[in-house]
Amino acid sequence: MPLNVSNLYSGYGRVRIVQDVTMSVGEGEILAVIGRNGVGKTTLMKTLVGLLGTLHGTIEFRDQDISRMHASRRARLGIGYVPQGRGLFTRLSVGDNLVMGERVGGIGATNRRRVFQFFPILEERLSQKAGSLSGGEQQQLAFGRILAGHPELILLDEPSEGIQPNIVQEIGRIIQRLRHEEGLTVVIVEQNLELIHAVADRCIVMDKGKIIAELTADEIKEPEVAKRYLAIAT
Amino acid sequence: MEEFALIFGYIYQYLDNIGFLILAASGLIIIFGMMGVINMAHGELMMIGAYITAFTYYAGVPAPIAILLAGVGAGIAGIILERLVIRFFYKQLLSSLVVTWGLSLMFSQGFLLIFGPSILNIPTPFGNFPIDEQTFGIYRLVLFGISMAMIAGVWAVFTFTRFGTHARATMEDPEMADALGVNTRHVYALTFGLGSALGGIAGGMFALTATISPFFGINYTPLAFITVVVGGGANVITGLLASVLALAGSQTLVNNLVNVYVGYLGMMGTALIILLVLPRGISEYLERRKIRTERASGRE
Ligand SMILES: Nc1ncnc2c1ncn2[C@@H]1O[C@H](COP(=O)(O)OP(=O)(O)OP(=O)(O)O)[C@@H](O)[C@H]1O
Ligand SMILES: [Mg+2]
Repeated sequence: MPLNVSNLYSGYGRVRIVQDVTMSVGEGEILAVIGRNGVGKTTLMKTLVGLLGTLHGTIEFRDQDISRMHASRRARLGIGYVPQGRGLFTRLSVGDNLVMGERVGGIGATNRRRVFQFFPILEERLSQKAGSLSGGEQQQLAFGRILAGHPELILLDEPSEGIQPNIVQEIGRIIQRLRHEEGLTVVIVEQNLELIHAVADRCIVMDKGKIIAELTADEIKEPEVAKRYLAIAT
Repeated sequence: MEEFALIFGYIYQYLDNIGFLILAASGLIIIFGMMGVINMAHGELMMIGAYITAFTYYAGVPAPIAILLAGVGAGIAGIILERLVIRFFYKQLLSSLVVTWGLSLMFSQGFLLIFGPSILNIPTPFGNFPIDEQTFGIYRLVLFGISMAMIAGVWAVFTFTRFGTHARATMEDPEMADALGVNTRHVYALTFGLGSALGGIAGGMFALTATISPFFGINYTPLAFITVVVGGGANVITGLLASVLALAGSQTLVNNLVNVYVGYLGMMGTALIILLVLPRGISEYLERRKIRTERASGRE
């Protein structure tokens, strides 16, 4: 099992945000996480990656308990993280950002060919500073960066945020190709229902730090069900 | 001929001041840029370098090798300091100032206890050359050359090596670097070691021109400190170069217009004016401008 989370609690200082989250993701599965703004989706992702400490509970990656492991070691085990807001090194060139992804999945040969296959624009922009790319290009770089390494589990936090529809569709296609061709496992936090329709096998719904529902692929396709959970009105 | 000697004298002084500031500050600014810490014990790392140079030199080791050994020794001392103390104070400018100041006192008092107040000297190599009535020391020009080589070396390491890429990324966003599998604790320790080693080498070089005592560091820390603050931490190379050119320039100018004591005041005045206009240092401003122009040209 690539990812197995049980009774996970985490937060900032003494404030608990993520509460009692239990979830697992199977080999080659694409799991979507939805929920309104501020319910703790990003907090959950950061805890999985190791940027936030686990207060209670366990996180297992391939049957190994990683809940106390330093973030950099988790990444080298094969967890690739594309954060909300992209987390690019804006002062570094596109090429150097790709170098920064090469440690994901262990210290092996670079996978640059694959990156340029998926995102040809990055090859043209190689020596440009990441901070000077357009929003869409930046998202492609953030995704491409982890593909420069050898991730086995990919965590995407709102990849469609602030991006035009055709690039969102492109990202959806890439996620599916990665799963079919390379068997990658994906957890994707999303608000964009179309993207979720297109890629997700299963979907968990969060509210106030807890998982309150789980939807099958069929249920995701029913607009009423998903909309109810995503209703932005507060 | 007299005019030539005069102009040459100005240039010589300028190069001498530039070399001095670069050697004293390059290790310090690397550490500041990376970790947001100004190490007030940097002068004492230089002092350690000076002692290592003196002891090995008098044990028969040739001076260039003695100076390299000083770099190695100070680098190791720096890594130990970083692991034991300094890593707890990253990005906390004020606390780190106090703590490293304490360390600096500890080092100088410790050396006083162990080696006593006695003063060591190493003869300055290469001798002098005369122009007109004046004589100029060749070693000062060698120091300038080595300071340039040091900057070029630091630039190459940060630009072309994998460690350099990891370091620049860590400087911008350490969390993200960690999340991508780069162990930032190692990056920090190595960077601190590198900065300390440069301090040790500088200490070794100055050991050939100055007297070596437990209070050796006091001659360097304040000027290095000002250079670093004026340069800013956003870009180590441009910050250091811009700051040094401005400070050494004003010092040389005021030196010759008035006299040596006022020269330092001229330098302080320049530092003050630059910091009033650019409170976060010159390189911060240059970096922001660079991103802006790149963005403009990327959107043609
Ligand atoms: N660094 C922080 N310190 C303290 N509280 C935080 C911090 N970051 C987020 N929070 C709080 O944690 C809660 C969950 O935030 P989180 O970013 O995980 O939500 P989210 O579901 O990702 O929201 P969005 O859809 O807007 O991205 C919010 O109430 C937020 O205010
Ligand atoms: Mg979020």
